[in-house]
Amino acid sequence: MPLLSDKTYLYTELAQEKGVVLPTPKTEAWKYTRLRDLLNTEYQLCPSTDKTGSLPPFEADVIHIGNGWVVGELPRIEGVSLSFITETMEKTQHPFALMNAAYLTQGLKIEISGKLKRPLLLNYFVVPEDKNYFYHFRNQIICHENSSAEIIEQFTYEGAVKSCYFANIVNEIRIEANAKLHHYKYQNEAFKANHIALHKVAISQSGEYESFCLQKGANIARNETEIALNGEGAEAVVNAAYMMNGWATLDTTTNIYHYVPHTKSSQLIKGVIGGTAHGVFQGRIHIAPNAIQTTGTQLHKAILLSDEAEIDVKPELEIFADDVKCSHGAASGELDKEQLFYMRSRGIGEEEAKQILINAYLTDTITQISDERVREWFKILITG
Amino acid sequence: MSAPILEIEDLCAEVGGKQIIKDFNLTINEGEVHAIMGPNGAGKSTLSYVLCGKSGYKVTSGSVRFKGKDLLSMSTEERAREGIFLIMQYPVEIPGVPSTTFLKHAVNAVRQHQGLPELDTMEFLKMVREEGRKLGIDNEMLKRPINVGFSGGEKKRMEALEMTILKPSFAILDEADSGLDIDAMKVVADSVNALRDNKRAMLIITHFQRLLNYVEPDYVHIFANGHIVKTGDKHLAVELEQNGYAEYVKEN
Repeated sequence: MPLLSDKTYLYTELAQEKGVVLPTPKTEAWKYTRLRDLLNTEYQLCPSTDKTGSLPPFEADVIHIGNGWVVGELPRIEGVSLSFITETMEKTQHPFALMNAAYLTQGLKIEISGKLKRPLLLNYFVVPEDKNYFYHFRNQIICHENSSAEIIEQFTYEGAVKSCYFANIVNEIRIEANAKLHHYKYQNEAFKANHIALHKVAISQSGEYESFCLQKGANIARNETEIALNGEGAEAVVNAAYMMNGWATLDTTTNIYHYVPHTKSSQLIKGVIGGTAHGVFQGRIHIAPNAIQTTGTQLHKAILLSDEAEIDVKPELEIFADDVKCSHGAASGELDKEQLFYMRSRGIGEEEAKQILINAYLTDTITQISDERVREWFKILITG
Repeated sequence: MSAPILEIEDLCAEVGGKQIIKDFNLTINEGEVHAIMGPNGAGKSTLSYVLCGKSGYKVTSGSVRFKGKDLLSMSTEERAREGIFLIMQYPVEIPGVPSTTFLKHAVNAVRQHQGLPELDTMEFLKMVREEGRKLGIDNEMLKRPINVGFSGGEKKRMEALEMTILKPSFAILDEADSGLDIDAMKVVADSVNALRDNKRAMLIITHFQRLLNYVEPDYVHIFANGHIVKTGDKHLAVELEQNGYAEYVKEN
């Protein structure tokens, strides 16, 4: 079905056309994240734009992606080969990844063969002009042996904040032996927009994947990370923070598969939610029968600022091997009253005191970011 | 004659539905140091929390005026900005908030209230380090999250530093000497004495006479059954140390 840019389409009908079964409230992997607003919106195909989003305060090689289309020529970067993709790398059952493949707006193949000096910024930007656009973007990121890179994804928008646009993003990431990828993401979509992202990561021997995602925007947003630790010595860090005061649902989902011995994963996810917002964390650590001497840790913590705010947490450990170290923890609560009183008794106003405590609470999710400028940037985004 | 700084009249207050402060009266004038002594569990700390407006400490009747203003209608932070400072028995640990960051927020909140410009970071750091050094607080300690992992003595030194840089007109010391060795207690006492002048006033709440050897009070009050049962000068503290509280507790 060729899509027409001036027509509107129900997402459910587009799925039906391609035989994709979208999640219902009964679908286990999606049961906490209510997709009604997303699925019942009539979307229009996103036209390209020349407008670009603002840049963060650090030097980077930048690819601007406006409304799901790469803006201008692809840059030339030493150690990186960039091209447009024609087909997807892997098969998946993920309904939105299937939709992404079926109705791909554009996609990039990013092959890294050197040690990059500067971060590569994928600067996604939507100019919705009051319309409910949707776009599907996909990256195939291949980190060749011994390479190292830092890739940052930023999602922002301009104007027409009432638009219910939908960004559907897939990253297929392959990290070869001894390669290193630092992958950071800042999601600040418009407050009625929807954002679903899947990062599918495969890591070979002694490869390293270190990630952090900050979610602050959108109406329904899900950041899902699926990691296969395929080679001995492979390591993954999946950290995230989410902050929301409106009514949104912010979902962080992780599935980490330890397939071989001597692999390591750690996750620290923290959220602060107020208003009628809804936080979701689903985290699975799977350790295959032969994957001895693996370490998998997971910790989710949340602060609820209002009585109506809500979180759902589903940790899952599937351990089929002996001689492994595995832990998970979850905690949720309010801001500490004694700490608030102490600060106020020194003259600090209540709102300021709360903000200081929230900042302090979230800041330890970014301490592992080794690039100081990027860490500072996230610190400001958390504070602001 | 010096003007009153704190006027408490017929104050009654309760915690969790239980009346702790009952018909409490006390006037403290500028320049005066008062000590309130009483047996453990008499509600001495309740008084300090009531004066600071901590939630859960409910005033049921009576009035408190601070420098002529109605104290009870102010929020905790407004009271602090007006010049009330409580040295707490158990200072709270705040992970993730460096001591300097905390101090800067506090100083600037108070300065803003006084119509003064914010201190710039360099100016502020210089001042904090200098005052810190006098109290035995080094730069490393200033970088650590406030009170986190501090020993009892370090926590009280930090309280003394906060007080020194906020320059309150009225300081309340709530069991400020509990769990302190002599050196740390002297540091706290010195910082209190340094602040003492004919405009400021202090209220020392304590179970033991020990601290009063270092910060000499003008008046000593015995607190029992929710109010002051006897007032004297510093000799009353010595007498209490010898004879205990038994006869005052029994009185009512």
